[in-house]
Amino acid sequence: MATHALSPAAVPAYRGGLYEWLTTTDHKKIGIMYLINSFVFFLIGGIFALLVRTELAAPGIQLFTNEHVYNEAFSIHATVMIFLFIIPMLAGLGNYVVPLMIGAPDMAFPRINALSFWMLPLGGILLLAGFLTPGGAAAAGWTSYPPLSERGALASPGPGQDLWIVALILIGTSSILGGINFLVTIFKMRAPGLTLFRMPIMVWTMLVTSVLVVMATPVITSALVMLFIDRNYGGSFFLPDKGGTAVLYQNVFWFYSHPAVYVMVLPAMGVISEVLPVFSRKPLFGYKAFIFATAGIGALGFSVWAHHMFTTGAVFLPFFSLMTFLIAVPTGVKMFNWVFTLFRGQLTFSTPLIFAIGFLTMFLIGGINGAFSASVPIDFALQDTYWVVAHLHYVLFGGSVFGVFAGIYYWFPKMTGRMLSESLGKVHFVIMFIGFNLTFFPMHMLGIKGMPRRIADYASDAGWNDWNLLATIGGFMIAVSMLPFIWNVFVSLRNGKIAGDDPWEGNTLEWATSSPPPAYNFDRLPDIRSERPVFDARHGLNAGHGHAAIAAGGHGEAS
Amino acid sequence: MSTSPRKRPASEALVAGGVVVLLIAIVGIIFFTGAGSELYPPKPATVQAKEVASLYDLVFAIAVAIFVAVEGLIIWSILRYRRRPTDVDLPPQTHGNNFVEVLWTLIPTVIVLYLFAISWQTLNSVDYTSVANGQKPDVQIHVLAGQFQWQFEYLDANGKVVATQTKPLGEGGGMAVPVGKKVYVTLSSGDVIHAWYVPRFLFKRDVIPGQTNNFEFTVDPAEVGQTFRGQCAELCGTGHNAMQFQVVAMTQADYDAWLAKLVEAANATPVPPPSGAPVLALDAKNIAYDNRALEVPANAPFVIAFKNDDPSTITHDVDLRAADGTTVVANQDPIAGGTTAQYSYPALPAGTYQFFCSVHPGVAAMTGTLTVK
Repeated sequence: MATHALSPAAVPAYRGGLYEWLTTTDHKKIGIMYLINSFVFFLIGGIFALLVRTELAAPGIQLFTNEHVYNEAFSIHATVMIFLFIIPMLAGLGNYVVPLMIGAPDMAFPRINALSFWMLPLGGILLLAGFLTPGGAAAAGWTSYPPLSERGALASPGPGQDLWIVALILIGTSSILGGINFLVTIFKMRAPGLTLFRMPIMVWTMLVTSVLVVMATPVITSALVMLFIDRNYGGSFFLPDKGGTAVLYQNVFWFYSHPAVYVMVLPAMGVISEVLPVFSRKPLFGYKAFIFATAGIGALGFSVWAHHMFTTGAVFLPFFSLMTFLIAVPTGVKMFNWVFTLFRGQLTFSTPLIFAIGFLTMFLIGGINGAFSASVPIDFALQDTYWVVAHLHYVLFGGSVFGVFAGIYYWFPKMTGRMLSESLGKVHFVIMFIGFNLTFFPMHMLGIKGMPRRIADYASDAGWNDWNLLATIGGFMIAVSMLPFIWNVFVSLRNGKIAGDDPWEGNTLEWATSSPPPAYNFDRLPDIRSERPVFDARHGLNAGHGHAAIAAGGHGEAS
Repeated sequence: MSTSPRKRPASEALVAGGVVVLLIAIVGIIFFTGAGSELYPPKPATVQAKEVASLYDLVFAIAVAIFVAVEGLIIWSILRYRRRPTDVDLPPQTHGNNFVEVLWTLIPTVIVLYLFAISWQTLNSVDYTSVANGQKPDVQIHVLAGQFQWQFEYLDANGKVVATQTKPLGEGGGMAVPVGKKVYVTLSSGDVIHAWYVPRFLFKRDVIPGQTNNFEFTVDPAEVGQTFRGQCAELCGTGHNAMQFQVVAMTQADYDAWLAKLVEAANATPVPPPSGAPVLALDAKNIAYDNRALEVPANAPFVIAFKNDDPSTITHDVDLRAADGTTVVANQDPIAGGTTAQYSYPALPAGTYQFFCSVHPGVAAMTGTLTVK
């Protein structure tokens, strides 16, 4: 095993526990803080989801005192889940693993990294502080379309909406700083030998994600600033009676928020593209095709935003319909590459692989039901109904959240030096998988039968009662599934099996250092001659090719 | 390069098996217990909706085929390629295959281009309007959306308003249309964005302030006598879920009679309030009454001089009900924002009554107490 000794790193002076965590610039500690902070907001967003589901379990207004509070609940649920859970959760995983995967000692800008993180809890607190203001928190939906989100007495007169705007600008700034940091880190700090086409897929997805973040986030910031000026300084950007245009906001908003969907799902695709090869003992099928598909999704992602606006009557429909259909192609390429990675492998069903397979099966549904909305006439029926709620949760929960948990079970041993319990992990998966499908599959039926989203109540004779009750039961199952997970983390931190450097027989560089890694990450690095340096060090460069051995990087070989 | 065989706990088999059984069970439940029909749109009620429904059937069939093929491949790989204790050596290290990559790029491309083409074709007939093609529609209706009610202005062939349906749904409101006729609808909003949505038409269109949207539909003649539920599909504030309407499909004769009645009511001279009756002033602004406690003498008719100060698309009225909150004592027609009305009420025995806006029955600020003594 050829390794290269690195020059001894300067070890910073020891600092006390809490003080160290509050002031750290170590990407691993910041990554862990990202994960914990995001998980706390996942629980907060989940509580709002349970409130919404409880209200909808039966017709009538039962739980909330009035519809306005209901509108606050689902608005804050979505805002928290998107901006304070999924995006930062995946950024946190990336923060932890990207420098390790490219053999770097830290991110390129460690202090900016700390700044990016600390803006998140601040933004979250500002958002939730809306509940303490007269009029309550933002209640115009996570999309906050004007004129409803404007200052008018019949729209959103309270300061909760302003706090929502400020919180999102802060979180967006955090994203932009993080995105620039990832780009510089990935382009400038790779270990010798780690060429772009030897980078782990997780690093590639973080690269494409960062490009999306850096290009798209300033655009939504402009929409938010315009809305803030409308609300507070007499602006009229989105007020038609004063010469503005209501639909302008939607164009600017979705120009960010559609690429943001890929920000929320590409890193999760990266996670499972690491997990599937390791647990099937095979390389990722079609490594380069996968990278081109990722870049293709990133590029096409900028030309589909108006499919969220098919019913506005202000969109050139055929163009956006065509682009939306086309984006299914690179996504399909990825799906086939994943499945063919499993194909003829030797699968070990550890918890990370089970969650990754959960991703495959559920994200497939999220892709297929999305194609219905790409068809404009069908979208006229489905737009703003529960079908869309089903679709987006199959992508963002069935896809991203399953991917997040695959990543947590996969890298927890690296982060802590201890294994999570396999049996508790599987209990977690089974309850969450069943609960997820019970919650979100019936929403297809509700949507196609005409239940609009964002309604606090529905007529008891509309035929929606049973599916709503089922969805509520499923929602509580998802909540219950978090208990074995949290218990697992607490128990394993103290008593979990010692992981060792490389418990899963991993492929990528993070498994070439200790668990947890030292502050400077690596004492020694193995040779990097392919996208699987640790695999090569374990098995030799030509392992598994029999007598027809080929040189490293010889992709495209059929066997 | 060899690894020792792993111990294989039985739970692994249980979990993998459980996932497969669950998936099969879900698909089974959907397609064999009749729940499968739940994944289909409701019976289409317009000529346009029928085209959308047949497009849906085709897309759905392709979707199910892709779903079964890919999920099947996943499940089969899971079951077939489990690592066994004898699996010490690595499996073949297949890095990829350019031929299959090209194949599974091209085939999906052809499928999505086909789906795009048939969708565009259907779109052209769903989005067709007589007006855009220089023809006269049979019926023209201008829909006004406001928090949280729909009004329907019926226009004559010259685009002049002949009558307006202002009644809320609970008092016989909604729009009536003749079956088999081309109904051209224009949409406008005076406050926030709404969306006109009728599930059985498989259609919705946003109602956006500052922009007049339009569409056309023809109700299937077989649907004569049917009532179709409709409601706002774009979050518009507190009363969003209550912003409902209905479309009633009538024969041409019934429709003509219905419209004539609406025109007659619109042209009728209002009954003058009895002279000498006490007049109370009441204003509504921002979906709230300016006074929520009124007092009148018992056993004498009285008048409320009502002023609606909200935007023109928002309507209000002042109805009366007994203290129990259910028995309606007086029922007035709503008036549009920016207008006034003299509402006359009959003589009432002493007691406590509620006055409320029938357009906004759930809004606390639009409910007050009328003391009669």
